[in-house]
Amino acid sequence: MKILMNRRSRRALILAWLAALAGCVAGGGYGGGASVGYDVGFYEPYGYDYGGWGPGYGVGLPRRGYDRGGRPDDRAGRADGHAAPHPAYRPASASRPMPSLPSRSRGR
Amino acid sequence: MNGRHRGKDGVLVRLSLGALLSVALVAVAAAASFVLPPLVQPASSERHAGKVIWADLVTPDLAAAKRFYGALFGWSFNDIHTGASDYSVALLDGRPVGGLYQHTLRSGEQRQPAWLTFISVRDVADAEHSILAHGGKLLAPPRLYAERGRQAVFADPQGAVFAVLQSSSGDPEDVLAAPGEWIWSSVLTRDPDQDAAFYQNVFGYEVFEMPGEDGAMHIVLSSEDVARASLNTLPAGGAAKRHPHWLNFVRVTSATDTITRVASLGGRVLVQPFRDRHGGLVAVVADPAGAPFGLLEWTDADSKDTAK
Repeated sequence: MKILMNRRSRRALILAWLAALAGCVAGGGYGGGASVGYDVGFYEPYGYDYGGWGPGYGVGLPRRGYDRGGRPDDRAGRADGHAAPHPAYRPASASRPMPSLPSRSRGR
Repeated sequence: MNGRHRGKDGVLVRLSLGALLSVALVAVAAAASFVLPPLVQPASSERHAGKVIWADLVTPDLAAAKRFYGALFGWSFNDIHTGASDYSVALLDGRPVGGLYQHTLRSGEQRQPAWLTFISVRDVADAEHSILAHGGKLLAPPRLYAERGRQAVFADPQGAVFAVLQSSSGDPEDVLAAPGEWIWSSVLTRDPDQDAAFYQNVFGYEVFEMPGEDGAMHIVLSSEDVARASLNTLPAGGAAKRHPHWLNFVRVTSATDTITRVASLGGRVLVQPFRDRHGGLVAVVADPAGAPFGLLEWTDADSKDTAK
């Protein structure tokens, strides 16, 4: 009888542990945080330093209609002074106009 | 004696079982029932692969973030609380513009709150395959959220974190963002050339390089004849603290006025407004928890065709 009870208890405990483990796995999460329910609960490495920005450091885009000057891409003015003749990407064709943001407003 | 032991053992076993089953049930229920609202209502058939369609803020103080962004941009919020997750959908004039997610920072932990950028894809599994094949890294595996769609989080080969989203309700239409909405995104990276190849291979972008006055590379990524994002060389100096990342910009009518409000609301100005190539001002600020984002002045006329 005692052996039977122990076996039942052990089985029940093992099942409960497995269920708990399954629950934790379902919760998921990256970065070791408590992100049960949603999987973006992590932070980036600490510290952004935005020094060095200023006039000439353009992050935006030109207005629509910007003249590309017929170049497939402009590789002049590189920081290292060495214009790489073959970029890793495939540059847009010279005939392609520079894209900009949509001109249509919502509901128009 | 034996009877007393058996009694104690029985109680302990029952307590253990109860506790374990409670943990399991709570975790399973929380994971299964986290419902995020659709991006587009009513649902549309529009799909703009490569477009930045969403942004989620990961912050240690959801209440403070809501106060800050609500006062700064006039956003209102719909709270979603499920199990251990506190999430809030930010709305502008009733339209969803982003999500705010509470995530506790452990005591003494120095991590960076940030806005996570979501790029539209037609199929998350295909995107995952392509991202990994081109040197990206999986951070959060694909997962389906009822109503929103399937999403996954990755880092590009330089380490910049981004997400992809296959929206269940279609993508937001391609219109000019209103003031207070996200209008532009930039990847600040050590090697824009290699990163441009990565994003082009994964998302099929056209790639345009802009001449830079400062000697750095500025690359514009586009799809469907619409500019989607730029790739920029991280500014020189202080490189130890500079890791590649995505930075999203909110459209504002006056960057100067907005940075004054940012400061009064407990945020910080990281880059004072300066004139960008389209003629409007650009600035970079951080919310009270330190999450950076950009401000971009853009007029309706800036989008009109002025081809020479």
